[in-house]
Amino acid sequence: MPLQGMLWPRTVAEATAMLDQDPEAKPLAGGATLVAMMNARVLEPLALVNLARIDELRGIRVLADGALRIGACTRHRETLDCMALSGTTAVLRRAAAQIANATVRNMGTIGGSISFADPGLDYPPAIVAADCSVEIAASHGRRTVPAREFFVDWYTTALEPGEIVTAILVPPPAAGGAAYEKHARVSGDYATASAAVCLAADGKVRAAIGGCGPTPIADPEADALLSADRSDASVARAGALLEARADPLDDVRGSAEYRRLLIPRLLLRAVRRAEADGSRPR
Amino acid sequence: MSASIAAAGSPASFVELDVNGQAVAVRASLSTTLLTALRDELHLTAAKRGCNQGVCGACTIRIDGVPMRACLSLAHGCVGSRVATLEGLAADPRMQALQRAFAETGGFQCGFCTPGMLVAAHALLEREADPDEDAIRGALSGNLCRCTGYVKIVAAVLAAASASKGSP
Repeated sequence: MPLQGMLWPRTVAEATAMLDQDPEAKPLAGGATLVAMMNARVLEPLALVNLARIDELRGIRVLADGALRIGACTRHRETLDCMALSGTTAVLRRAAAQIANATVRNMGTIGGSISFADPGLDYPPAIVAADCSVEIAASHGRRTVPAREFFVDWYTTALEPGEIVTAILVPPPAAGGAAYEKHARVSGDYATASAAVCLAADGKVRAAIGGCGPTPIADPEADALLSADRSDASVARAGALLEARADPLDDVRGSAEYRRLLIPRLLLRAVRRAEADGSRPR
Repeated sequence: MSASIAAAGSPASFVELDVNGQAVAVRASLSTTLLTALRDELHLTAAKRGCNQGVCGACTIRIDGVPMRACLSLAHGCVGSRVATLEGLAADPRMQALQRAFAETGGFQCGFCTPGMLVAAHALLEREADPDEDAIRGALSGNLCRCTGYVKIVAAVLAAASASKGSP
């Protein structure tokens, strides 16, 4: 059955009411994923709720305490250009800069990306490492979930039917550095594996691994090890803890075994790069 | 519109678009991509259908001035936006400098990727008049060429940038 309707809500309340009314409808943000899936006939939605004209979902706002609110329909290009993402939270800019290519970064949105939740995406490990939260709206109200609870399983998020992501909430940046190390077959591909590291000036580290299981991998013990000691040996121990939580697939981007081998290597590179980033004169 | 077309289509079977500065009514179902509308209905065939997945860059066009993929844009989603294809950008001196440089440098072989390369390179030169090789390779990293190995494409963009130097 071909697509029967495209709806243009002007507010989040209108959008969620439309999604309630038509359980077959899919929300459309930048189209970088959804239209590609329609072209490939992986997805044949009966109706689209086009979020492009909802002002609230566009752009990045700096809140009073320095926290940031990134509207769900903010394009990757805007995120990678946002200088308010600094210190530890610059990890989001680093991840955004490596998504696909310049033209697709003009189209794709952060809300669309994380809602797709492909394990090889760049934002999921970055928003987990930066300890972001995801704001979700339904017709009956809004809720906020920590990024690490947002990703539930392969291509599965905490979103319930009728819900959409409205914003990514980024905590106030801490002084320090950040890095996103991505290993991909070619520039612009999905990650075979990736490592996101936020290193605060006080030594506190948060790390997350992408591409090596259904959801981004984080481990409080690994973070504690890295926060206490960033020697090669300690980073290797943290890498082993993260690798123990990995559940990678064999696919065209690499074997499961190869991905496991990448985890400690990418982690070490990311830690060193975050150190260099944090010590740059500003 | 004939009665039979009106009867066969849903109310959304035509869409009003602004393409290269002209208001046009284009036949398009709701799931018709902008690329299909441009090529099959408006016969603007500079933008090519390569992967239809946003990867190859052969369909690169501008929407409201921003380089985008025509294959990832739904025609009905472009209502109220300005669409510019290579055909509409071809009068710009900077685009003409690029076209000349591609021809003189041999920055193409089969030519399938060339319109997308030109639109992407044109957007780069608008933003950055004198890019270095890294900036060019970065800006064109979403445009695949299966013939040239890219060396002459990069050389063409460098040549166009230096040819445009001094012009406004």
